[in-house]
Amino acid sequence: MATPGGQGGGALSTRGGARRMKWALELTLGNARGRGDRQSNQGDVMYPIGYSDKPVPDTSIQESDKNLVEKRCWDVALGPLKQIPMNLFIMYMSGNTISIFPIMMVCMMAWRPIQALMSMSATFKLLENSNQQWLQGLVYSVGNLLGSALAIYKCQSMGLLPTHSSDWLAFIEPPVRMEIMGGGMVL
Amino acid sequence: MKPPAKMSKPTSLFVIFFSLFVMSEAVFEDQVGKFDWRQQYVGKTLFAHFDSHSQSSKKLFLATDKNIFASFNSRTGELFWRHVDKAGPEGTIDILLLHGQDALMVVGGGRLLRSWDTNMGGLNWEAVLDTGSFQAACFVAMQDTVKHVAVLKKAAISLHYLTNGHQKWVENLPDSDTVQYQAVYSGGEEEVYVLGVVPNSHLTIIAYSLEDGEIIKQRSVEAPWLSSVESSCVVVGHGVLMCVDTATLALYALPIQAEEAPQFNQILLQSLDLEVSPGFQPVLVSSQPHPARSPISEFFLQLGPDHHVLLQLNADGYTIAPLRDFQPAFLVSFSTTGEKTVAAVMTPKNETACAINLFSADSGRRLLDTTVIFPLDLNGGKPFKLYVHAFLKKDDSVGYRVLVQTQDHALTFIQQPGRVVWTREEALADVVTMEMVDLPLTGTQAELEGEFGKKADGLFPMVLKRLSSQVILLQAWLAHLWKLFYEARKPHGQVKNEVTIETLSRDEFNLQKMMVMVTASGKLFGIDSKSGSILWKHYLENVQPNAVFKLIVQRTTAHFPHPPQCTLLIKDKDTGLASLHVFNPIFGRKSHIAPPALPRPILQSLLLPVIDQDYAKVLLLVDDQYKVTAFPSTKNVLQQLQEMASSIFFYLIRSDQGNLSGFRLRKDLSTERIWEVVLPTEVQKIVAVNGKRPNEHVHSQGRVMGDRSVLYKYLNPNLLAVVTESTDAHPERAFVGVFLVDGVTGRIIHEAVQRKARGPVHFVHSENWVVYEYWNTKSRRNEFSVLELFEGTELYNSTVFSSLDRPHLPQVLQQTYIFPSPITTMEATLTEKGITSRHLLVGLPSGAILSLPKMFLDPRRPEVVTEHSREENLIPYAPEMPIRTEWFINYNQTVARVKGIYTAPSGLESTCLVVAYGLDIYQTRVYPSKQFDVLKDDYDYVLISSVLFALFFATMISKRLAQVKLLNRAWR
Repeated sequence: MATPGGQGGGALSTRGGARRMKWALELTLGNARGRGDRQSNQGDVMYPIGYSDKPVPDTSIQESDKNLVEKRCWDVALGPLKQIPMNLFIMYMSGNTISIFPIMMVCMMAWRPIQALMSMSATFKLLENSNQQWLQGLVYSVGNLLGSALAIYKCQSMGLLPTHSSDWLAFIEPPVRMEIMGGGMVL
Repeated sequence: MKPPAKMSKPTSLFVIFFSLFVMSEAVFEDQVGKFDWRQQYVGKTLFAHFDSHSQSSKKLFLATDKNIFASFNSRTGELFWRHVDKAGPEGTIDILLLHGQDALMVVGGGRLLRSWDTNMGGLNWEAVLDTGSFQAACFVAMQDTVKHVAVLKKAAISLHYLTNGHQKWVENLPDSDTVQYQAVYSGGEEEVYVLGVVPNSHLTIIAYSLEDGEIIKQRSVEAPWLSSVESSCVVVGHGVLMCVDTATLALYALPIQAEEAPQFNQILLQSLDLEVSPGFQPVLVSSQPHPARSPISEFFLQLGPDHHVLLQLNADGYTIAPLRDFQPAFLVSFSTTGEKTVAAVMTPKNETACAINLFSADSGRRLLDTTVIFPLDLNGGKPFKLYVHAFLKKDDSVGYRVLVQTQDHALTFIQQPGRVVWTREEALADVVTMEMVDLPLTGTQAELEGEFGKKADGLFPMVLKRLSSQVILLQAWLAHLWKLFYEARKPHGQVKNEVTIETLSRDEFNLQKMMVMVTASGKLFGIDSKSGSILWKHYLENVQPNAVFKLIVQRTTAHFPHPPQCTLLIKDKDTGLASLHVFNPIFGRKSHIAPPALPRPILQSLLLPVIDQDYAKVLLLVDDQYKVTAFPSTKNVLQQLQEMASSIFFYLIRSDQGNLSGFRLRKDLSTERIWEVVLPTEVQKIVAVNGKRPNEHVHSQGRVMGDRSVLYKYLNPNLLAVVTESTDAHPERAFVGVFLVDGVTGRIIHEAVQRKARGPVHFVHSENWVVYEYWNTKSRRNEFSVLELFEGTELYNSTVFSSLDRPHLPQVLQQTYIFPSPITTMEATLTEKGITSRHLLVGLPSGAILSLPKMFLDPRRPEVVTEHSREENLIPYAPEMPIRTEWFINYNQTVARVKGIYTAPSGLESTCLVVAYGLDIYQTRVYPSKQFDVLKDDYDYVLISSVLFALFFATMISKRLAQVKLLNRAWR
């Protein structure tokens, strides 16, 4: 942080240097001690009007950047597709047993594409500047759908999907009895 | 468990895994007696003796009709020890004689002579007697010491040493084919007298020498009036045989030891101013205090049901002097202490009590301050027998204790001055049938329920009613809190919740129930299942000894304010006539509802799920003309019956004719026979039949296969399992048959015949399976066989089940296993919703109750383990069925002669209540799938809650810290 005006700096050091000397006048800008005291005396710093300590970005658009934007947008769109081989590898590694880690993996695999699909609008905003916005969007969503399909396939191979009749067994009500019967050996 | 050697390694690992999986069922040491209790009984007393060996002895010895010789603590009524002999005639106790420290017993109709040490209950010796039916036995003394015991059989007499049981001599009785020898007498002389009778002709007296068994003399006395020595004669005084005859109304006296030809001396009762009640057989009671001396010369003569006379034989041996007349007097008994002999007489006092008084035997004078009051239980039987133990007090007066046996087999021990020390309900040794009934809600709960039952009468009264019931609830809650607080201060052991009929209420999980037990003697009991205390009893008089009972719960406690209602069907085997006893199972009181008159013999009963307007289930009684009587039979019920008549079926099985027949109800309450199956009685005999329990729920309609398809169970609610045994007992040709018959259509669904097998067959029929146990005559071992029925992978009709519309037969799977022990009874666990896995409860002859997982009895157990079978958790097939000691639910609390096991669901799905009854009663809980719905007993509440609190505070503190840090960072 740059110390503004000598007056302020002088006043600052008067108190800051009180440990050693009664007073001292600092005429140079950006001295070491001032930097050292920054933390405690932040509020005291006075900025001139219109001063910003962040660099101002260069907002002028150049023709060569257009390609870069396009490339960047394709990167975003192809992201989910690129994940698939990785996911396949993880799927293969985690196996079909039902335990905490494979379940966590599957959950992650299933949740990420869904999350991505749900925040589609945000992604579209990113792709706004591209010419092939719609194609990219389509590729992006297909990639995510493929990812979730993969997760579902994983669930299926782990047996987590209720696709068998046995999965619905608990919901079968006992049949209603039509006849009343009783009796036994003659007493 | 050690797996069989031939198993492959993975298989054995698998088995070990499973055995570990099912193992942790046994009770922990600190859980002993927490949920379970056992009560030991001995049965109806036949012989009772007090230990008069020492003054302060607390022992009481009993021999019972259950072939049990037992010793009780006479101060508390607890068992010291008990010897349970074989059931049936092989173990019957013919006589129990007590002398000093030895208890002599003849067992099994004269088969064995046993001597027991009364101190420890150990067997001194046992001697096998010669064949022949037992008649009588007595101690024989020689020079004032008792050294021998004489045993009289039908055709022989033998003398045994008391010390080792060796036979001194045995002699055949002369003319034993014509003379009935019935009594043996020894009065301390050198002779033993045997008395025999030729009915209505003469009496034979034979004197045997004690030394070598030689016949010293043999006399024959004319006695045309005498038919039995046993029932009408006693020995009094110095060897005078005293007989009573009903026909001539006279007493007859005869000196046994007389040298010359003796004659009966007739003394007419009239001459003594005595009169026999009409139709009453007079009975004589005498007493021989010590075997080395002759009997006392006083004796009782019973002239009527409540009329006794104390008589004295004069010194001349011929004349009789009446000492005292006791009328009314129910029971009399002699007792001797030291030199004094007293007579105890029980006389009725009022409606609810009897008085017992002591009288000096030689004078008939009443002893002062000896009155004891015996309270008559209105719900109990009448006094039946009196056992008196007299003793000399310090001031030389006679004190006594008395044991009263009542008709309902109860024993009451009374001490002076009129205090009932203990009562034992020995009728419970023979429980025939039982039911468990839910306890009612507490008064407050009932109050709340009752609010909805009453009719609405305006807004304001309803609000008032609600407020008042809320106040009552608050009151009860405060009282509960106060009680908790009050009891928390007491040490744990002292807190004892006395259960009384007033405080009875259902607990949170419905674990405490009322056990309604019906005993063979006709006494009903209501027992609290938690503590085992008897809360009510009711004795039904006029119940025949061979009566058949069927207990039916018509209305449970769920229908407040209607009281629960149980009905007991009692059928007299001889006449076939039945009667109904309707009662409230919680209080034991007889209901005011009048049962229907049943003029015709009843064949069977049938409880319908139909309810009348008072929520009582309808009971149908089928008589011998196949007409039906409904109980209750209100208009409403009859109308419902008419509407439903076409769907009401019943079946009857006549074992003697080998006949199974099915009937359908008509609208006019008559019936039509719709099917009949005859199993020829020359080949096989129907031994048992079992349907499914009506309160059984099956949660899962199928079984999941390894490939995740479903094999649907064949759940036919009308299925009957009929078990037959072959009449041919030859081991090669004997067989056991199991028929699965549909009770509505009579269709035989499946028949399984086990060749080279013999009964007794024990079986359980539940869900879609039948498990039965039999004896394999070829391999000479017990085997378990399981039948399971499946509908296949498709359900024919998943919404309704009708036996009339079932075209396909089920698939039947069967597997058989070797069981290393015989069994006495078998039952399956039962839970509220049927989610919990099932166990079989097997009663073993050793008294243990084995909880055998049904998983082991599964016909789908594979011989070769595959991926799929492993997926299904099927245990590989092993022919041997293990018995693991940790499966014994009653650990060391063996239940002697277990006859039946009753299971009832509790409010918790995991828990099943079990009562095993036989000679003993044992109650416990079982958790077939462990306690998945309850926190464990040793759950660490403190740790968990402290961790929770610590985490909570840690979260709060760290949240605060994080906030401070964030704020600081924002200032940066």
